[in-house]
Amino acid sequence: MAFTAPYTYIQCPCSSDHTDLDHGDQIAQDAIENDDEHTFDPRAPRSNYSLYPLEYLLYCEECQQIRCPKCVNEEIVTYFCPNCLFEVPSSNLRSEGNRCTRSCFQCPVCTSPVQAGEIPNEPDPTLLGADNNPTAHVSYALFCQYCNWSSSEIGIEFDRPSGIPAQLAKVKNGGEPKITAKDLKERRKENPDEPPVADELVDTELQFANLKSFFQAQLSDSTGVLGNLSLGDGAGFSSPAALSRIMTLYTAGRGQPGRQRGPPDTMREALSTDDGLRIAQLDESAEVKKLFRGGWDETVSREQTLAQLEPARFQDELRPTQCTLRTKRSKRCAVCRHIISKPENKVASTRFKIRLVAKNYIPSISIRPLKPTASGIPVGLRPSVQIEKPLRPLQPCQYIVTFTNPLFESIKVTLATPNSTPGRFSSRVTLLCPEFEVDANTDMWDDALRDDGDLKKRDDSNGQAEAGKIYERGRNWVSVVLEVIPPSLRVENLDLTAKPGEAVDKSPLKEDEDILEIPMFIRIEWEAEAQHDITGAAGRDKDAREKRELAYWCVLGVGQISHD
Amino acid sequence: MASGAGPTTLPHRSVTNIRSGPSQGPPGPSSPHTPPRNIASVYGSPSTVRADDEIIVVEIGSRFIRAGFAGDSLPKATVQCGPEQQRRAGDFRAWQTLARKPGQAWSAEHEVWRYDLREVDIGLVRDKLDRLLRDAFTKHLLLDSRPRRTALVLDSDLPLPLVSAVLDTVFDRFQTPMVSLLSSATMSTVAAGTRSALIVNMGWSETVITSVYEYREVKTTRTVRGGRYLLDELYSKLLLPLVTDERQPDNADRVISFEEAEDIMCRLMWCRPSASRLSQRDSAQLETVEEQDESDVETPTNATPSTGTTQVPFNSTVPPRTVDVAFESLGNVCDDVFFDPSAPVASFDDHELPVHLVVYQHLLQLPIDVRAICMSRIIFTGGCSAILGLKERVVDEVSSMVDRRGWEPVSGKGAEKHNQKLQGRGAKGSSPGETSPPHEISQAELLLNPAHAEPEYDSVEAKIERYRYHDQPVQGKLRALHSLGPWAGASLMCQLKISAMATIDRELWQQQGSFGASKPNEVDFKAQQRQSMGAGGLIRGSGGHHMNWTLGAWGAV
Repeated sequence: MAFTAPYTYIQCPCSSDHTDLDHGDQIAQDAIENDDEHTFDPRAPRSNYSLYPLEYLLYCEECQQIRCPKCVNEEIVTYFCPNCLFEVPSSNLRSEGNRCTRSCFQCPVCTSPVQAGEIPNEPDPTLLGADNNPTAHVSYALFCQYCNWSSSEIGIEFDRPSGIPAQLAKVKNGGEPKITAKDLKERRKENPDEPPVADELVDTELQFANLKSFFQAQLSDSTGVLGNLSLGDGAGFSSPAALSRIMTLYTAGRGQPGRQRGPPDTMREALSTDDGLRIAQLDESAEVKKLFRGGWDETVSREQTLAQLEPARFQDELRPTQCTLRTKRSKRCAVCRHIISKPENKVASTRFKIRLVAKNYIPSISIRPLKPTASGIPVGLRPSVQIEKPLRPLQPCQYIVTFTNPLFESIKVTLATPNSTPGRFSSRVTLLCPEFEVDANTDMWDDALRDDGDLKKRDDSNGQAEAGKIYERGRNWVSVVLEVIPPSLRVENLDLTAKPGEAVDKSPLKEDEDILEIPMFIRIEWEAEAQHDITGAAGRDKDAREKRELAYWCVLGVGQISHD
Repeated sequence: MASGAGPTTLPHRSVTNIRSGPSQGPPGPSSPHTPPRNIASVYGSPSTVRADDEIIVVEIGSRFIRAGFAGDSLPKATVQCGPEQQRRAGDFRAWQTLARKPGQAWSAEHEVWRYDLREVDIGLVRDKLDRLLRDAFTKHLLLDSRPRRTALVLDSDLPLPLVSAVLDTVFDRFQTPMVSLLSSATMSTVAAGTRSALIVNMGWSETVITSVYEYREVKTTRTVRGGRYLLDELYSKLLLPLVTDERQPDNADRVISFEEAEDIMCRLMWCRPSASRLSQRDSAQLETVEEQDESDVETPTNATPSTGTTQVPFNSTVPPRTVDVAFESLGNVCDDVFFDPSAPVASFDDHELPVHLVVYQHLLQLPIDVRAICMSRIIFTGGCSAILGLKERVVDEVSSMVDRRGWEPVSGKGAEKHNQKLQGRGAKGSSPGETSPPHEISQAELLLNPAHAEPEYDSVEAKIERYRYHDQPVQGKLRALHSLGPWAGASLMCQLKISAMATIDRELWQQQGSFGASKPNEVDFKAQQRQSMGAGGLIRGSGGHHMNWTLGAWGAV
């Protein structure tokens, strides 16, 4: 569906295996039964989820099947920060989260990286005579190199240019210190009578921490004694649970003599801020005023707020976010567990130890018009996309479809397309040669060294669009001709083609409906060396070879149909 | 408890959704609990630690999916389902600068699902979920494909086919060994620290009001006045006339893209304070109300200074342009959508009652104890509750209705007349928490009447008394609480190892599907709890197969 036609997409066979194995769902059952006769419709909304360009597909040699990103299992090789390329050990991941804990921050406005820098101090006129005072307080802020955003806009400045994450975690927007549960505990220890924090100062994290400690206290209150009771059940002492019960038997029961025995009948609800209760701040008139004053530019766009950890409304609520870590993953076939892709461990390396890409196993398909309308691009202007003129409705148009064989065996290709493509605007499609053989991918020089007579003998191509004959043949490729009659895209004309009694959908043209896509079923057969045979000599034997086949749907995006 | 499950509530809906240890209620105060195992992981073998600890919490709504690890206060990933996410792999037009045509489908292509299953292709929902979850897991949670336990936070009204689509996806594609289903209303209650609450979920497709009493969903009412309705109204009433003067045919392409219209809704929408803002609301509970004159009502002081306009750029219109949007009209749209003050009450259909009316009627239909508890624990969740001033307005409108009508299920002229008669006789309108005035009792009567005799000392009673709340729970007055939201509630629950009632095993699901689910009361929870607590599913292999399991509030076939 990419905008630059022509293109080809391949449907991973995994998507048709399990179509709606809904338990007992009658409709789904019917769908499965009809599946074989059913033509794949590239325009159905579901097909977007099963079509992949050839480059996205892998191939499992054991199962001899195409594997798409959906039907592989992944294992993580390395975690790293995309900004500083620092490799993060997986043990840190749990404690520090999925973000880079070094000073890799993203601008909250434009997502480009921000850097810590000194805040340029206005030269104080009273100190004109003195040189730069070394004791003068220098503060730092984060600056975006792209959009000139700086963290002083949200009132955050730092004392040191290093250790930004730790400093940032302690400050709220506006420069006030953030109240954490830990601080609060310490403060409470020093001064037990301190009133709880005002509700408007409690942020999500603090409330969550309060709630958690409250629930934990309530649960241990109500279960501490009961835990002891259940010891008598003869539960094995080997289980960790039993051990923990023994531990609490003495600590919980006797440790605090003042503690009342017996659980309260129910867990109570949170009653104060310390328990995690927070009365909602209903009066939002200040924010409404701010909205009226600031208008559109003061508010945060959808992309910006999605990138934030907590949803924000106004620009001054944005906070710089740390870069999300990325991963390098190795992939295994979900069926046979064989590794089919494994990148090198090093972060900076882009190489792979194992990589079985589908391009090396299934023929690649390219499509181009027989009589191109776009003129060639001069060398100086390359690379640039050559855009064909839109197809004229109701005028036959011929395309050359080329199959290139990557295998070292010759393959037999069988093609099938529906006469008319599915969808509201259906085109007539004719494949002039649906069955042919593509030669093996032999050494490139073989082609040059082969004598002409040999080539002529095999040459059944005539360079013309003729039914039953291939168009052109090369060392490991074959071209065939495809004839298309595009439909008229007028909604009014739909009545003419519709069967009587059928409701006609006359809504205006949807996105991509003007692009001519042809579903094509491809079946490849070839003879390969039997897999269990390791010795090369025996492999050459006729009986040691085994027949293999692969069949899948693919979609040819031919081009855009003209609107008139 | 949960006595008066209203007439609209199906029997299985009112049953508890989470198996929070202490909330078991009636059957005796000391039913055995499994203690929260904080120490267990120290002694367990490393492999089980990992399998046990990392519970993934996924909240699936009709627009957003939130995913993260249990124990975090915020989800690690919030993913949205838009047409750009539904493109084919390798189709990079989302990053090209040319704007998409707005199209007709508009909101439909931005939703994960709709509850109206006639419009839903279940296969497509599964594909969408698969892609969104995969995206969240790989990009944000940085997970590999190892099996992990998952807690799903779902609306308890989610239709069964959608529930089973979700479960299929999670079990088939992500190898999850076990899934717990948690109801979002209950989780919001947990995340506010209370046991009961009135959840006003102002979501995308509807505003759903759920009363949760002692962690049980008691009653649910709903109205279509939610985000989608607001956006449609905003488009047709405000944005369309701004951009074009022509009358648009019904099936024409929209002139503004969904994203831009939604952006306006999220960024600029605000709600006027109610006309009865100054009435006798308990100012100490809610906030400090500025003293205002009654005559100021028409021009509320906190809504002016004359609201003005703001300039909004549109890129999806042809040609791109910048348009002035008046705050005044935005406020009008918001008023009309959520409160519809101009229309008489009788003109609404059952599914489109204004929000404040639904809240009031919901409370009215609750049993009086439940009402007293729930009305002082109102929790607003959902995207639309972020509209500035909307929460306050709803609470104000409800409290003014309560002031005006009391808790009288009958209203109208006849009822008023009747009430006046009663008031003439000195009878009082009932209100929750109010008790009849005590009799004057003479000293002699006190001594004689055994009813007033000093009761004997009862040790059990005393013990119960000792553990009663020292202060009575707040009840009987309107009060709004802040909740951290369903995701955070589920994250708390999972971290505290409180197992859900609806816990589904992968093998059982794949064998039986949704047909294997039993009714919640047929399930042996102790066994299941033991099973789900069992480290790494050791017990699962042996005894799991002849066990009953349930989908809880999501129903059985």
